[in-house]
Amino acid sequence: MAQSQIEQLDPASSTLVLSLDVDLYSRDVLYAAAYVFIDRAYILLDRDADRYMVRMRAKQKMPDETMRAMAGEFENELLAQALREQVGKANQAIIEGITALAISGATAVAESHADGPGLDGFVDDPKGLGAPWQNKEEAPEG
Amino acid sequence: MSAAQAAGAAATVRFHKELYDEQAIADATATFADYARFGVRGEGDHFVVDISDLDSEIEGDIVAEFCNFALANSAALRRNDG
Repeated sequence: MAQSQIEQLDPASSTLVLSLDVDLYSRDVLYAAAYVFIDRAYILLDRDADRYMVRMRAKQKMPDETMRAMAGEFENELLAQALREQVGKANQAIIEGITALAISGATAVAESHADGPGLDGFVDDPKGLGAPWQNKEEAPEG
Repeated sequence: MSAAQAAGAAATVRFHKELYDEQAIADATATFADYARFGVRGEGDHFVVDISDLDSEIEGDIVAEFCNFALANSAALRRNDG
């Protein structure tokens, strides 16, 4: 059996059933691809033995060709998400390293200013410039 | 189901346990609780959701929207669980 194929296509109800080999894409990839189509179609995922079944019903009525195109788009999206997952895994250690460095750097800066000026860099405000102007105007005179 | 539900209409949806999280389905039933009555039970590899008393006043397909919510919730839960 093909790794992915259209099992059912019914333009009358704008319904399309696509089946995929479970070994072809991870569940996360399937979720991610389905999520992309959630604004255009109603999606129900299922599993039948070693096949994932993706039932899609378009929210707008669609002709046969558009539905076939949507099936192709879904398969492309699966591929894109699979690549994204692979790149994410390959770069995970680098991303974690950079994030840890950024957080430790920010913590060190915050600690060095703990007794000094605030985060805005001002030490004090002798002329009261930091006070909201509405409060100044509303304050009773005299 | 078409644009609007027939008064008091019912439907049954089967969610595969490997693909849908029970909590995600429960969250989706809570989201749609004002528009229908939901009963969730396990049956083999599936969670079976019996949907009844669909609100006929609501435009759109409540059952299909409910399925999309269950899917989105399952994906979000899985992402959060890492």
